[in-house]
Amino acid sequence: MTQTPPAADAPIQHGAGQPLPWEPVLMTAVGREGGRFLPDYLLRGGYQGLTKAVQEMDPDSVIKEVTDSKLLGRGGAGFPTGVKWGGTKRNPGPRHLVVNADESEPGTYGNRYAIDADPHGLIEGMLVCCFAVGIQQAYIYIRGENLYGAEVLEHALKEAYAAGYIGKNILGKEGFNVDISVTRGAGAYVCGEETALMESLEGRRAQPRIRPPFPIEVGGGLFGRPTVVNNVETLMCVPHILVRGAAWFASIGAPACPGPKLYTISGHVNRPGVYELPMGTTLYDLIYKYAGGMKRNQKVKAVSPGALACQLLPGTDLNVQMDTATLTRPPHWHPPFGPVGFGAGGIIVYGEETDIVQVVARAAGFFARESCGKCVPCREGTHWMQDVLGRIAHGHGRPRDLGILEDVTRNIGGRKTLCALGDFSVNSVASALRLFRPEFEAYCNGHARSSAAGSGVPVAAG
Amino acid sequence: MSLSQAARDRIVNDFIPRYPSKRAALMPSLWLAQEEAGWLGPEVFEEVGELLDLHPTDVASVASFYVMFHRRKIGDRLIEVCENPSCFLNGSDQTYARICDRLGLEAGHGGHGMQTTPDGKFSVRPTECLAACDYAPVVQVDLRFYGPVHEADVDAFLANMEAFSIQGKPSVSMANGPQAVPVDGWEGHAPPAPGSAA
Repeated sequence: MTQTPPAADAPIQHGAGQPLPWEPVLMTAVGREGGRFLPDYLLRGGYQGLTKAVQEMDPDSVIKEVTDSKLLGRGGAGFPTGVKWGGTKRNPGPRHLVVNADESEPGTYGNRYAIDADPHGLIEGMLVCCFAVGIQQAYIYIRGENLYGAEVLEHALKEAYAAGYIGKNILGKEGFNVDISVTRGAGAYVCGEETALMESLEGRRAQPRIRPPFPIEVGGGLFGRPTVVNNVETLMCVPHILVRGAAWFASIGAPACPGPKLYTISGHVNRPGVYELPMGTTLYDLIYKYAGGMKRNQKVKAVSPGALACQLLPGTDLNVQMDTATLTRPPHWHPPFGPVGFGAGGIIVYGEETDIVQVVARAAGFFARESCGKCVPCREGTHWMQDVLGRIAHGHGRPRDLGILEDVTRNIGGRKTLCALGDFSVNSVASALRLFRPEFEAYCNGHARSSAAGSGVPVAAG
Repeated sequence: MSLSQAARDRIVNDFIPRYPSKRAALMPSLWLAQEEAGWLGPEVFEEVGELLDLHPTDVASVASFYVMFHRRKIGDRLIEVCENPSCFLNGSDQTYARICDRLGLEAGHGGHGMQTTPDGKFSVRPTECLAACDYAPVVQVDLRFYGPVHEADVDAFLANMEAFSIQGKPSVSMANGPQAVPVDGWEGHAPPAPGSAA
């Protein structure tokens, strides 16, 4: 935050004088000695956003600033953050903040690196939210597998408590009291859904709740209280918005959903990883310009633009802008299943050599195992899809199986379940059937393209 | 097997005060109990239930929902291999099969059960995405992440896991800092962008 925003037309010089279009906002701690600890965070301008909020602004103007920045939630649903905060504040307290750090979507891993690199960025964002919405008790719910991230957060919380950024009368502001604690999940993908997450935090099986009442309302949130549930990356944007202004944030990238974005790219690319780029970066640039192109120079066959829960994009559609608005509007909308979806920006790239039937069978298995069992279409349908696709993938498919699959996908998808897991489970299956039907037919007619034991692809080391 | 006094104190003095309801202390309490014993048995459900005013069956019903809570004894070390698409595309099936083979276990694909070596030293199972896809194929051992572990790396991995640790390492893309830097000469290696010729 000590950096000044670059002029729109000034190329940034980096390293060997190579012009770069973009300066990172969220990942500035990477590569710095002790970057994740409080002293370095303060050197990088840490806690200035909170200080500005507390000393120069009132809670309502903080909410207005976040609303004006057009920050959309980064967890997948893309709800306007400022609107969520304002809505929660209209309901009577006590209120809670819950940070959704249950990142479990296959192919999505930006939050893990963000927490590892800069836990104070998250904590400052949380504190700004608590100040704006009037919250005294905040919880971070982190997936159980990410023990290291939980340890990093616990340490950062200790530092922040000791320095007086968390606790009573924060920054000398009378009555601005916040407590933050970390709760670990224990291996349930469905906890990424906000109401299931709150059930888990309350010590129950993670099964989504019926809405309304919504989490921001009395009776719908954590412990029945109005609750803001925000993604890690969303909250990390907030301090920067306060320091540099809503107009600066709104000018970055795609106008409908602006800001920096942690794209995570994996699969058949040469240089998988986390790439912080402006919202709206094209898939072509992400794959070829940044991620080093395709392994073994193969063509792109298909892409999961928002990880496994989204519909597949064909490899011919690489000019698409990767942002929440583009991927949820026509022509990226396929009735009855709805938008292709951007999710949390986890991109899986499948090369030509991919056996798409095997990938989809795996996806179906994943959702069948992770279905929480509350809604019938999802509980029964995901297992049915797993069975049929498992049969096909093992070379025992029958011609009528594809009809069964289509029927099942139509009966799970289309908002027939309490949470989106049902819709997610059919997205890759239905879109693969639409795009690559001949491959499924070949399997069902006894011409499987590879053995069921794997992709049949020689694995190149490194 | 039962909870130590230290664990009871921690649940009462640290976990319960964190939340407005006693019940909410259940997840951290179960983690603590599992850290002590390695798994969760019926006595633990009773003892935790007593501290949190919950019926033991209620506690068990929550514990059994989450795959990371073990309701039977497992091996000293738990090896889990991600089998989701990003790892699959990079050969995780072969990694899993080789690990099972080296430990004298049968690599049964399609099944999702846990297998334990007869000497009780290792348990192995496939797992879901661990959110480290840039290091695919990723292996989790006792809640620590390792990668990439290709089929050919398995012997070296089993001999010295720490050499493969990715804990605390930055992303593959961030070896030289946070800046997303275009690959040198990328235009020469990339096919023309769709529609660019038109």
